[in-house]
Order: sequence, then C-alpha cells, then structure tokens
Amino acid sequence: MQKLTNDDPESWLNAISIWKNLLELDAKKIKLSQKNANSLKRKVGENDIIAKKLKTEQMQEIQENKECQLEKQIEEETLEQGNFTTKRDKSQEELQNDVAEAVDTHNQNDLTFRVSCRCSGAIAKTFTAQEVGRVIGIALMKQFGWKADLRNPNLEIFIHLSDIYSVVGIPVFRVPLASRAYIKTAGLRSTIAWAMASLAEIKAGAVVLDPMCGLGTILLEAAKEWPDVYYVGADVSDSQLLGACDNLKAAGLKDKIELLKVSVIELPLPSESVDIIISDIPFGKKFKLGKDIKHIIQEMERVLCVGGTIVLLLSEDHHRRLKGCEESSVPLNSKGSRTDKPGSTECLNPEEKAAISEPVSSSFAASNQECLDRMPPFGSLVPVECYRVSLGKTDALIYKYKKSHSPGQ
Amino acid sequence: MKLLTHNLLSSHVRGVGPRGFPLRLQATEVRISPVEFNPDFVARMIPKVEWAALLEAADTLHLVEVPKEPIQGYEHDERFLREMHHVLLEVDVLEGTLQCPESGRLFPISRGIPNMLLSDEETET
Repeated sequence: MQKLTNDDPESWLNAISIWKNLLELDAKKIKLSQKNANSLKRKVGENDIIAKKLKTEQMQEIQENKECQLEKQIEEETLEQGNFTTKRDKSQEELQNDVAEAVDTHNQNDLTFRVSCRCSGAIAKTFTAQEVGRVIGIALMKQFGWKADLRNPNLEIFIHLSDIYSVVGIPVFRVPLASRAYIKTAGLRSTIAWAMASLAEIKAGAVVLDPMCGLGTILLEAAKEWPDVYYVGADVSDSQLLGACDNLKAAGLKDKIELLKVSVIELPLPSESVDIIISDIPFGKKFKLGKDIKHIIQEMERVLCVGGTIVLLLSEDHHRRLKGCEESSVPLNSKGSRTDKPGSTECLNPEEKAAISEPVSSSFAASNQECLDRMPPFGSLVPVECYRVSLGKTDALIYKYKKSHSPGQ
Repeated sequence: MKLLTHNLLSSHVRGVGPRGFPLRLQATEVRISPVEFNPDFVARMIPKVEWAALLEAADTLHLVEVPKEPIQGYEHDERFLREMHHVLLEVDVLEGTLQCPESGRLFPISRGIPNMLLSDEETET
C-alpha cells in the first residue's frame, strides 16, 4: 500500500489537478456519468488512472486474484467516461463552497486531506479499516507534504477494498450523487429513477405513465431530462399525491406532470393508450402492496401501446413471484459490501455465490444473457433487459419489457 | 386536471367498457394559467386527441376559440397550435366531477386531481 502512494506520485498529482479542474467548472455544466453508487464513492475520472495502478500493486501484495474483475471495472469506467451524457443540477451553494476552497488551496502543499477507508470480505480479516487508512495517510503525508485534517479536509481520499475490486477515489461532491435541488421530498433514490427513465426510451410526444408514482420521483427525473413529453402519475394514497404535488410545484414541473388518484389494477385509461410505463413497485417494506404483482402487470400491459416499453423496479420477492417458482431465499451478493455498479451493465444471477470464483470479464455477456433468461415473458410483454441495482441495504432488479403484439393475436 | 388528461380518461366501472368514454365533465372551479408554449409538443399531441370528447368538454367550460378539427398542415400553423395549446394545457379544472356516461357513477375532482378509485363492490365482476 505504501508502494501505491510512493511509486507513482505523478498519478496522484494528476488526479488532484483533475479534481480541481472539475470543481472549477460552472456548476450547471458538470457532466457526470449516471451510476447507482452509494453516497461515499464518487469516481469520475481519477479512478481510471488509479485503478490501473492499483491493479499492479494489488496483484503482488494481496492473494486474491481478481484480475478479471478489476479489468472489468476499468473497462466499465472507461466506458462511462465516454458516456458523459447528463448535466446534473447541483445545488449552487455546495459547489461555490468547494470551488472557493479549492481556489484557496491552489498551492498543493497546503492541501489538507483525510483518508476514509472501508474493507470488506477477506481483506477485512487481515486489516482493519483504520490500519489501511493510517498506512495510506502517512505515506501521503510523507510523499506530498499534505496535512491531515480529520474534521474538515479539502480533499477526501476514499478507499474501498473488497473481494472483488479495490477502489481509490476522490469524491467530487460533498453531497450524494442522488441529491437534487429540485426535489423537495425524495422517494426513490434519484439516480435510480433517472436510470429507469433513461432505459425507457422516452421520445418527444410520448405519453408516459407511472401508475404507482408515490412522491413522483421517477416522473420528476424524467420530466427534467425529457421535457417534450406528456407525463401522468397515479397513486392511491392521498398523502403521497399531496407530497407529489408539492414536489412538482417545488420543481416547477406542475404543468408537465398530471396526477390522478387511481388504482394500478383499475386504470381508467383506454387500452393501448400509453406509450411508456415506468414504475417502482412497492417492495412491501415501506409501503404495502395490496394487490398481486401479476394483476398489476396485466393491467399495465393492457394500457400499453404495441411497441411500448415498460421499465419496472422490482424486489427479489416480486421477481420470484413473477417466475412463479418457490425458490428458497437465496443470499444476495456479498452481504455488507455495497456492490457498486458503475456502468450498470452488470447483472448477476443470484444463484452465484458471493465469492465469484471464475473470471467474469469474458462471461460478461453470458451472465447478462442468463439474467435475461430468468426474466419470464408476460403475456405479450417480451423481456428486453434486466439489471441488478443496489439501493443501499438491499438489492433490486430493473426489468425492461416491450409489448410485442396485442393480446389475443 | 387539464383537458388533455380528460381526453385520455375513461370510466372503468365494470361492464362499461368502451362506452365509458368520454367522461362527462362538470366544473365548479377552473383556473386558467399560462403555460410555456411548446409548438413541437402540441403538434405531437394533436394526433392523439379525441376531438368529440375535447369539444364537448370545452363546451361545458364555455371555452371559445376552440378549433373544431385538425386542419391541413397544422404542424406549421402557429395560430392553430396556440389555440390547441390553450385548450389542452392552460385550462385546469380544480374542483368538479367526472361522470361515467354509461353507469352514471360520479368521480370527484379535488385540488385538480380526479379521484377515480372504485369501491370494492364496484370492482367485483
């Protein structure tokens, strides 16, 4: 680990200057790749450089030979850099503060820093997070002369060591990626809402429905990104609808999104009248799902136009019920380690155990296919894609279907 | 509730089927508020409009200057698009009712949100 910091000071300094440049950009013009990361990991470009370095170091020092995993990680990251597509609204004040600080400490020697470390998996048995943090921190101090400040550092170095990958990163924002200036009360995490909306292939002039909109997070994200579209949100709960109404007003989107108090299994819409349906199906933890998931999807299928798209966020339970089989509950991927899904192209079969023993990079496409195979068709709905995403404590699945024909044909 | 939405809503009382459209509109409180004019968006909505339903609703609300039907080359006719924009998007029914034309069932509109939940008996076949 000391080698990591001492052997290649260049890459560290490069990373810092990139970080500074990013902070100095106009807040509105910051482009970030969309990911379902938890609030602590903010890799934007630096990790590309650092992860490569890490790869060589780690191979020598740590027994776990997850070379392919790392490669995949790097591939995904480079993919993402090429996919900077979104502008993210970020609260102005946060960024002004960061910029002011960065400008103030333009002289690198005055940089104060803090190392935050997290270890999980087998590594956690060998090192504690504090030890790793200390080693790296001391090495950095010796190498660059930065001062450690645990309370309010300019620069935060974040390290995550797990069985699958090692990450060294510098968060660009102080707030989670999912924070939004325009959402008053958030329901679903905004990054996931956006991801779902982008999967839905929203085109100008479409009719988009969220039949269980709750506080309207998905519609808000979609309406901000794809404004020339007719959005309708529906929910059975008065309080949720009121909250959604508030959110719409706060975001200035009251004219773009209409709300209805209707039940998802009795949609007062003619058949085949909606182009796109995006929905976060209640998992039963926070909100109860009164109805059967099959009925819900049936009704969605009815109102969807042929060729239309459905994107759903489902829990493992829903997924199993849809499959109609009674599998005993399978342990999800590495308990405790937050699996980061940068390009959201990873889709793991939950039957695979936490310690992935085979190199995954080449079987990447294969595992995606496996997931697709596990996605059952539903009437005239044809499965298109399926992604596993992390919601923090739990995992969930994003399903995408297309309607291929009218039922009865 | 905008008229564009009303144009899409249909009664789902059991047994009513397609005769549940369009819902008869009664309004006790209406708000007209300006909405940013987006000609592209309006042009794309035109093909989806059910004209008879729209005219009926506009009539109930005593709206004037409502085009009776799409005209040739409407995509480029700004005046037509502005009139449609006004009818579909700038008229908001805040309080009122929607009535199923077949069963007579009334659905209230409150704070601009139509409540179309059916009771358990009504959803039983």
